[in-house]
Amino acid sequence: MYKNNKKGIAGIVITIIIIVLLVIFTNNSVNQASYIQNICNIFVMPIQNGFIYLKNKLSGNSSFFESIDTLKNENNELKKKNSELEQSLRELEIVKAENETLKEYVNLKDKYKEYNTIPADVINRDISNYSNIIVINVGTNDGIKKDMTVIADSGLVGHIISVSNNTSKVQTIVDPATAVTSKISTTDETIIVQGTLEDKGILKATFIPTDAVVLQGDSVETSGIGGIYPKGIHIGTIKEVVNTNNITDRYAKVETAVDFNKLSAVLVITNTVKE
Amino acid sequence: MKKFLSIIFIIVSFLIIFLLQSNFFNWFTIAGVQPNLFIILILCIGLFAGKKLGLILGFIFGFFLDIVLGRQIGISGIMLGLVGLIGEYLDKNFSKENRITIMLMIAGVTAIYESGCYIFNIIILNLNIEIIEFLKILLIEILYNSLITIILYSLIQNLGHDLEEVFKTKNILTRYF
Repeated sequence: MYKNNKKGIAGIVITIIIIVLLVIFTNNSVNQASYIQNICNIFVMPIQNGFIYLKNKLSGNSSFFESIDTLKNENNELKKKNSELEQSLRELEIVKAENETLKEYVNLKDKYKEYNTIPADVINRDISNYSNIIVINVGTNDGIKKDMTVIADSGLVGHIISVSNNTSKVQTIVDPATAVTSKISTTDETIIVQGTLEDKGILKATFIPTDAVVLQGDSVETSGIGGIYPKGIHIGTIKEVVNTNNITDRYAKVETAVDFNKLSAVLVITNTVKE
Repeated sequence: MKKFLSIIFIIVSFLIIFLLQSNFFNWFTIAGVQPNLFIILILCIGLFAGKKLGLILGFIFGFFLDIVLGRQIGISGIMLGLVGLIGEYLDKNFSKENRITIMLMIAGVTAIYESGCYIFNIIILNLNIEIIEFLKILLIEILYNSLITIILYSLIQNLGHDLEEVFKTKNILTRYF
């Protein structure tokens, strides 16, 4: 075995540097880009500003000679419009206040309080790239059973697939094997959201009814069908609707409300749907 | 006695890799993809210590991983056992004294292991088949694993030859006498 130690060490150091650079660039590409953009802007912006100033000066000269009468008319019209707008704003404020009192009557805010929950911490994450399972630090000793629902402060996390004395495994909703029956909260249309391999924060919503109107920004929540997840837990918002040639094949991308990369504290709902 | 000690050493290194994998490589990723050091460990056991140990330890470690963190019990057990078997086959046909052959071995075995696991999961859990996304992740994982192999190469060589002395001297003797 002919070994050249100097070459070997240099190779190792170069590979470590390559790995570190790859990790930094692939994970922080947006921040890096904006940093570079800032540097570029420092050189470009003064020139741009100068040009725009010149352009404004040149185009401003022609409008200077407009008659004063038209300006007066315009001013009056604008005043009228302003008063109208102010009036409608006041009306809107009244409606808003009314809406809030009505919401309080319906007790929308207390939705989560009817569930008994147990707090837990995430103690282990998945080591595979093709599944997404977390381990939490509560088990049968704390009254946890299989198929209980796990939520975080911002939305649904997943359900429990197996329990030991002190830990339990949670299959998250971004796992490719999970499918959650859910509905679009504005139109009450039932859809099914599934995890994908593509991204750890994106779900794929399929089986959208052909006559349903799906818009970007609509919020998605669980529908209660299926027997595992209770009704009305927030899942995320629709990020993009992808239309295909056949309308029955169309799907939407749903951005999860929970950030699964930074998830650390969760709540387990202990009263299941059946009880 | 030496065999017993070296097996304990392998188990300790498995635990170290487990801790690294679940704490460090979770965020130290290339484009969100983490490497799989277990494949490297089991392949090296198969290469240097023979298929018996590779198969048995691969099976046990895979089962452990499935029980602690898996969706279905058994898949990675079977696949890691297979990796141990492949190690013996590669040892008979290729040289271990070259950095590039070891890199290529690990790249190939990573591809076999991950696609095997994915196919098993598709069959058992009835997943949607996303071939392009899967290949993207697989390619980055292979790249990451081979880069790590470059760093670990001298360590693999030194420890591997020690393992070979402990586990394979008997075989050579029986062949000669």
